[in-house]
Amino acid sequence: MQFSRNWLKEFINLKISTEELCEQLTMLGLEVDSYRHYQSKLTGEDAIIKLDLTPNRGDCFCIMGIARELAALNGKKIKLPKIKTIKSSLKSPLKVYASDEAPRYVGRYISQLDLKKKTPPLVKERLKISNIKTIDPIVDITNYVLIELGQPIHAFDSNKLQGDLRVRFAKDKEKITLIDESKIELDQDCLVIADEKKSVALAGIMGGLDTAISKETESIYLESAFFKPEVIRGRPRKFALQTEASTRFERGVDFELQTLAVKRASSLIFEVLGGEFSPIQEFKKSSSFPQNEDIHLYVENVNKTLGLDFSKFFISKLLRSLGLIISVSTDKDFITAKIPSWRFDLKVEVDLIEEIARLVGYNKLPQEPLRTKKRNTFDSLNQSVRSCFTSRGYNEVITYSFIEESAASLVEPKIEKLVFVSNPISQNMVVMRPSLLPGLLNTLSYNQNQGIDQVKIFEIGSTFQKTSKNKVKEVELIGGLISGSEGKNNWTGSKRSLDFFDLKGDVEKVLGNSSGYVFKKAELPYLHPGKTAFLFKGKSQIGYIGSLNPKLVDKLDLKHEVNFFEIQIEKISLKGKVKFKNFSRFPLTQRDLSFILDQGISSSEVKSLISSKAGGNLKEVKLFDIYEGKGIPQGKKSLTFSLSWQAADRTLTDKETDDLVKEIVKFLSKKFNAKLRA
Amino acid sequence: MLFIHGDSGVDIASLAKKSRSLLKKAEDLKILEKIYIDLLGKNGEINLLLKNLGKLPKSQRKESGKVLNQLKNDLEGLFQSRQEQLKEIFFSEELKKESIDITLPGRLNESGTLHPVTSTIFEISSFFTSIGFEIASGPEAETDFYNFESLNIPNDHPAKDMHDTFYLANDSLLRTHTSPVQVRTMEKQKPPIRMICPGRVYRKDSGLTRTPMFHMIEGLVIEENASFSVLKGLLLDFIADFFGKDVDIRFRPSYFPFTEPSAEVDIKWKRGWLEILGCGMVHPNVLEMSGINSKNHSGFAFGLGLERMAMLKYDIPDLRAFFENDLRFLKQF
Repeated sequence: MQFSRNWLKEFINLKISTEELCEQLTMLGLEVDSYRHYQSKLTGEDAIIKLDLTPNRGDCFCIMGIARELAALNGKKIKLPKIKTIKSSLKSPLKVYASDEAPRYVGRYISQLDLKKKTPPLVKERLKISNIKTIDPIVDITNYVLIELGQPIHAFDSNKLQGDLRVRFAKDKEKITLIDESKIELDQDCLVIADEKKSVALAGIMGGLDTAISKETESIYLESAFFKPEVIRGRPRKFALQTEASTRFERGVDFELQTLAVKRASSLIFEVLGGEFSPIQEFKKSSSFPQNEDIHLYVENVNKTLGLDFSKFFISKLLRSLGLIISVSTDKDFITAKIPSWRFDLKVEVDLIEEIARLVGYNKLPQEPLRTKKRNTFDSLNQSVRSCFTSRGYNEVITYSFIEESAASLVEPKIEKLVFVSNPISQNMVVMRPSLLPGLLNTLSYNQNQGIDQVKIFEIGSTFQKTSKNKVKEVELIGGLISGSEGKNNWTGSKRSLDFFDLKGDVEKVLGNSSGYVFKKAELPYLHPGKTAFLFKGKSQIGYIGSLNPKLVDKLDLKHEVNFFEIQIEKISLKGKVKFKNFSRFPLTQRDLSFILDQGISSSEVKSLISSKAGGNLKEVKLFDIYEGKGIPQGKKSLTFSLSWQAADRTLTDKETDDLVKEIVKFLSKKFNAKLRA
Repeated sequence: MLFIHGDSGVDIASLAKKSRSLLKKAEDLKILEKIYIDLLGKNGEINLLLKNLGKLPKSQRKESGKVLNQLKNDLEGLFQSRQEQLKEIFFSEELKKESIDITLPGRLNESGTLHPVTSTIFEISSFFTSIGFEIASGPEAETDFYNFESLNIPNDHPAKDMHDTFYLANDSLLRTHTSPVQVRTMEKQKPPIRMICPGRVYRKDSGLTRTPMFHMIEGLVIEENASFSVLKGLLLDFIADFFGKDVDIRFRPSYFPFTEPSAEVDIKWKRGWLEILGCGMVHPNVLEMSGINSKNHSGFAFGLGLERMAMLKYDIPDLRAFFENDLRFLKQF
């Protein structure tokens, strides 16, 4: 809503600067988006004020409504525009049937208009300031009244109407061509104005083209109606037809305003275009008027909520300034408020408490501290997982939850499992991500193109999948990706590519020392068939890790091998309460054992067999060397483990240890045909 | 004096003289070590003599033993002082050679960084958890009921236009705020409630100042004495904590279907007022719909956009930088 300050002055003349005026409006809740000074050729020094109104204040979408608010704040009364009384000399050729949806319909027939006349300059100037196109004098005047009083008025070319008018719901698939020449198909949910033959207007939104004012128009029928907000709401959006009229009807137009608006419009029309007027016709169905129930306002509730100490008389005075009718009786601890016809937003007690707060001024209301309560410790934000990755050199990223379809099908080829956005903002954001991988790959590729060589990133976020029952399943994952060279930042040491085991080490670190996690060799189409593992916790798979399939590395034009993991974050059990465990002070016995084994045997199998045979005093088994090549037969590899034992209560003897070693060697040779390497 | 040494006799005085001179003249630690072994080692000259003492006539044994042991102690002492001298020389020369270019950079083991949105969440959360707020979360794919209806936003209401919503193919939608988490908390938990809920939200909007996805943190307090004055006090404390004490703040009336009275909070930033959060007393309809009796309970709620807070705090000019994930941007936080 944008308007001229001089227009507002006609309703209330406050002797304050525009800046102060805007401050008042904003602090009343009619937020001033911007204002600027304007030199009018017609009214002199003026200002253009743009308001950013909230949808509850339909009553403030007009000069009169804004003036009403300022009057309440400044303890003044508003002046209404001068209206010339017009003698009626004609009889209206039609009548209108009111309905529950349009319980008041005020109309007037006007004939012998001189449409060669021009719109007065002041009307033109003010409409222009309010961003409304000037069209012809009649439409311009109705728009002028709309901005001034908030009542949308429509003018039909009455010669083109066939018979009486009624307000009814459209028939299914009924068609209408509107003034803006758009042809729309209606349904039974749309309210229309119809003559005896067909619909002539989409009620409260826009008139029809067939009955619109044209250069040949001689006589018109003015419509100033009250349509209930609930029968207009949602329709403008459905047809993408947000108009000045629909904005106001959706939010609620004063249902006592219609006659005043017709009088004001008639007076302006008469001034500019002359003409002969019928009496004002009012068709109404009073039983269907909005019933604003009286509100009981307890003084205690006002004072308790706002931290004030007001009397009921003072509260009544404040509310009366807004046009509420208040009854106070000395023996009751509440007052009763009757709500004016223009305030659709005042329904319950708290609504009135806000009115009092607004008039006092939010910044003048007192403040109190919130009494403190015990500190709440939190890790629901996954702080420890995050800091584990940042301390290991990973940068946290946040990527969009919606991605391209092609990127999504990379990880989820079954289209029926993808969750699509029905109204996406762009083709790049059309499907909810089934995995964090596409976003992280995108980030990798972006940074690589910026010349950044090493990328170590992670993200924590939801992923989405459609279930067989057509529901959306949302799972929060942590995903990480590494690619590039290691050691490039250092002048010492060797340079090499970040690989699977760099990533696996970091994942193992975040999983902690808990033994419940197991990596098992697996395959996924988008990962390297030989370098992929599922992560299990107990029997359930909770994540995976792997190298991006080199075909994809090539296709996506990535410079280095890429390793990626993702894990359900809620399955990562973090360190619980720390409890000290005693440790032995007796000497440690160590043995290194190298086995020659088939290449296909996994180190973790060997390790767990060793552990199972190494006795109760085993402290640790560590793989410390893998060797293939010279000295080792083709198809074999050598694994070297370092074992250590320690007893809690004594020094272990060499013999004990040697016996265990013999046992292990025997067992491995039986199980894997492993040979101890000399 | 003569000693039996193998088959021949040894003159102890000349042995002493020779040994002393050898030890004193040893040129470096290695030579010194060798001399030591030859003289004083397990099989060195002195020890051999001591071993052969038994071959002497009884009358000489005691006296000879005494002399030999004295010589041994004497030579040990000489050895140690010479060793110290030589070490001193060795280190002073050796360390001269080991000089490094101390201007070379240290070995890097760079830490990573948290996303500025996460840091902002942590910072805000730590303020609120320190005064007893709990942290809650909820789904991003929500139902119309939790996102709108339960928050007093009826269908087709113009208030719904303030939230341009993304719909998912099957009746669910992407939450436009984190308020559904508040409703879910009220359904589960009896008052008193103090909670905050940070998270991703989505609105169909894009541009310099808007992205279709962003983050919010919302808070809810339902307890005795939860009044508008307490809401004001809490938010003033929070803003002072987040920005430092010297920020001008104003509360101004606004409208949210789920709160009444409703307010927006602006801070003085550069030349004008800048809106940073919305708040208000929880609307009785919302309390009732979540199963809380609005006659006995009152509460307040607030919500703010995290990217905006991070932009102000770190002086970031463009909202889109948050989701571009340029490492040169991320590494600054």
